[in-house]
Amino acid sequence: MAEASLPDAAAAKPARPRMPPLVFVAIAWVATMIAVAILADLVKPYVFTAMDLRNRLSPPGHPLHWLGTDELGRDVLSRLIESIRVSLLIAFGASLISAGLGTALGFLAAHFRGLIEQAVLMLADFQASMPFLVLALSVLAFFGNSLPLLIGLMGLYGWERYARIARGLAISASAQGYAAAVRQLGAGPARIYLRHILPNIASTLIVSMTLVFPEVILLESGLSFLGLGVQPPMTSLGNMVGYGREYLTRAPWIMLAPALTIVLTTLAISIIGDWLRDRLDPSLN
Amino acid sequence: MTAPLVYAEGLTRTYAMRRGLFSRPVAVRAVDGVTLAIAPGETLGLVGESGSGKSTAGRMLLGLETPDRGFVRFDGRPMPPPGGAPWRALRARAQMVFQDPLGALDRRLPIATQVREPLDIHGIGDPALRGGRVRELLGAVGLSADHGRRYPFELSGGQRQRAVIARALATRPDLLVCDEPVSALDVSIQAQVVNLLIDLQAGLGLAMLFISHDLRVVRQISRRVAVMYLGRIVEEGEADDLFAAPGHPYTEALVSASPAPGGRAGRRIVLKGDPPNPAARPSGCAFHPRCPVAEIRCRVEVPVLRPAGPGRQVACHRVAESPVADLRGAA
Amino acid sequence: MLRFATLRLGRAAITIALVVTFAFVVLRLSGDPALIILGPEAPPEAIAAFRKSWGLDASIFVQYVDYFGAILRGDLGRSMRDGRPAILLVAERIPATLALTLPALAIKIGIGVPAGIYAALHRGGPVDRLVMMLAVAGFTVPSFVLGLTLVLIFSVQLGWLPSGGQESWRHAILPVVTLGTGGAAILARFTRSAMLEVLGQPYIRTASAKGVAWRAVVTGHALPNAAIPTVTMVGFMVGSLIAGAVVVESVFSWPGVGRLLVVAVANRDLAVVQCILLLVAGTMVASNLIVDFLYGLLDPRLRAGGRAGAH
Repeated sequence: MAEASLPDAAAAKPARPRMPPLVFVAIAWVATMIAVAILADLVKPYVFTAMDLRNRLSPPGHPLHWLGTDELGRDVLSRLIESIRVSLLIAFGASLISAGLGTALGFLAAHFRGLIEQAVLMLADFQASMPFLVLALSVLAFFGNSLPLLIGLMGLYGWERYARIARGLAISASAQGYAAAVRQLGAGPARIYLRHILPNIASTLIVSMTLVFPEVILLESGLSFLGLGVQPPMTSLGNMVGYGREYLTRAPWIMLAPALTIVLTTLAISIIGDWLRDRLDPSLN
Repeated sequence: MTAPLVYAEGLTRTYAMRRGLFSRPVAVRAVDGVTLAIAPGETLGLVGESGSGKSTAGRMLLGLETPDRGFVRFDGRPMPPPGGAPWRALRARAQMVFQDPLGALDRRLPIATQVREPLDIHGIGDPALRGGRVRELLGAVGLSADHGRRYPFELSGGQRQRAVIARALATRPDLLVCDEPVSALDVSIQAQVVNLLIDLQAGLGLAMLFISHDLRVVRQISRRVAVMYLGRIVEEGEADDLFAAPGHPYTEALVSASPAPGGRAGRRIVLKGDPPNPAARPSGCAFHPRCPVAEIRCRVEVPVLRPAGPGRQVACHRVAESPVADLRGAA
Repeated sequence: MLRFATLRLGRAAITIALVVTFAFVVLRLSGDPALIILGPEAPPEAIAAFRKSWGLDASIFVQYVDYFGAILRGDLGRSMRDGRPAILLVAERIPATLALTLPALAIKIGIGVPAGIYAALHRGGPVDRLVMMLAVAGFTVPSFVLGLTLVLIFSVQLGWLPSGGQESWRHAILPVVTLGTGGAAILARFTRSAMLEVLGQPYIRTASAKGVAWRAVVTGHALPNAAIPTVTMVGFMVGSLIAGAVVVESVFSWPGVGRLLVVAVANRDLAVVQCILLLVAGTMVASNLIVDFLYGLLDPRLRAGGRAGAH
């Protein structure tokens, strides 16, 4: 999936490949999004629930509301900023949970082999073969909805990819290389896995994280769009699109601003991820 | 003879090997009834082609693998099962030097940190003084403190192997198993590392198992030598005697292929037949298809290791009939 | 081949069992269904009656066994809202979903595979670049954004097509296009890299160096070999025939299984949700099985291995 820049990467391996301008733009965009998420309270012009009843459904370009307002006169820009914060927070939290869980299960499988390994692999197969959206919807149906549950649920997304990578690399490390050497020095499993194997495979795991991250954002926005993710009065990018859909004819900007943000952010992270993979870890695919 | 530091009897190890995705696994006997003993401070050379099972034998001797049959006793006590606390504690007394030093080192940690690691693992010495011990170890293998601050990829192959040796010696082990320690190095570097090992072995009174396919290196470092062929020891004896008058036709072929420097340039015996394959082990004496002097009984009857002269054991039907010297004279 | 078949069938059965267990565990973990359905103010007699009729008063193990048995008999419970059997409710929505996803699948395969092959054979050309760009878009533009954008253009601005509902075939155009384009781009990219991989193999280069006509090399060697990964991807898409339309059906108010799922989740109509979950899993497992057996036909190495294993 890294085909975009693969021909050049395969042909020659320059000592220090220059960063393509597109990647630079992508990094700048993601950095902006992260800054907006962290500084949300400082940047946003209004409280995101504040209503300006005199200026309802005003189009973008309004002197008080740059990106316009919605039906209740709430400032779209402020809501967008708050949504970026919530969506990124959920995606970050979920990705960290998923990476941690997957890596831990992968290490367990590699360490114990046998039945435990088979069980982990079977779960991974199961997870990879089931459409995650349907599984997530079923859980939400049974448990109702809350933010911690949502983050935890999305933290189950993509764990099997980290688990496969961690298991494979840990097994090959234990079979011949440095891990076997450290083991025969008398090191316990904690030292072997945390101090030696984890730092060695971290770059591969981080690359896969940048590849899973956009999918997590899409998943969250999809669930929220369906009204089954983040619940009002909180707002996320998918929520805003879902809300904006009702005003598609009269006020399309309510939908377009968050939609564009979703697309640009996932696109930017995918570009960075592809570039990182080509640079750091061509073996990953 | 003093009580052996490490003693292994009847070591047997079988692997299941799959040819294809759906075929039934084939049992491959990598090591078949190997008995070895190494006295404190003694160096035993273990010679054989690839696939002879010499590395597997070495790993079982260290306790890194558990034999299917047979046992290992270290310092009079049975080898504990791998992974447990007693096994881990024993690692401080038995260490290994690997063929590929780059693979054996963690490429994300500086050399000094890795040399220090056994001390941290086994809690040896005051933590504040371990840095000094690391410098001492690096010095002993000919590396500077500056080398210690570098990462593995910043060192040459020989320097990396020196680092691995320093790490292996950190806990002052009694036994060192060297598995092809110089075969991945440039020929010009090999002698340096071998000399380093010889000096360290003598200075520290280490018992050493030196595994190699290279007779010249083994001859230089070992006092006793065991020759393996397809999982079995076919000959064992004092290094000088064994190289001067090989008893087993296989040893003879090996020696003739690698003449001693300054020694007589004897005729070179070229082995016929396929190189040994543990998955298709010939009946009887496993060497018989390639043996220049094989008889009919060699195809059916497995020769056992029998004494043949002082300190010498040979597993060959022809040698069993006549002592080594006679056979030599007859040939 | 027999060993291969039993292995695959066993894995399929395990997957289904896992889904059933998953549903059961989630169902039981979620709290007391009686309280959830009837509400905390329900009279105790009503709760007791409900527990009895749903078998909730037995031990957890008995419940699990009963649950499994009921599912094996095809008894998937009744909708907790309108009392009809869940399986009927779901079944009557399947045609509507297939009316969207089958044409979409045809678009994905009909455009995606040829475009991928063409792009691989004309690497670096304009079609190749277009395929790569669209494929990136296919990954990063969520279907609800694409769908709403199409509605904005073709319904709101141009007024050419209806924005939702199921009255005529014209209503299906936008959802089918939404479903088809993203998938076609992804499949094209996948086919392209599979082809490129095969074209880079030594035996292909040998064949063309020996003077075998390029067309013969492509049709005789490259295409059959590139088909294996592509079949996997298509298999995944077939497996998603039911599940793939959840979001798009909601965008276009299309009364299919996906829309039913979203409504059932919002209403916590557990029997319906669980029935759809099993339907989705069954579709996925069935398509995986078909793909596995297609592998056997496509890959002579696997076939030979299978025969050797049968001895």
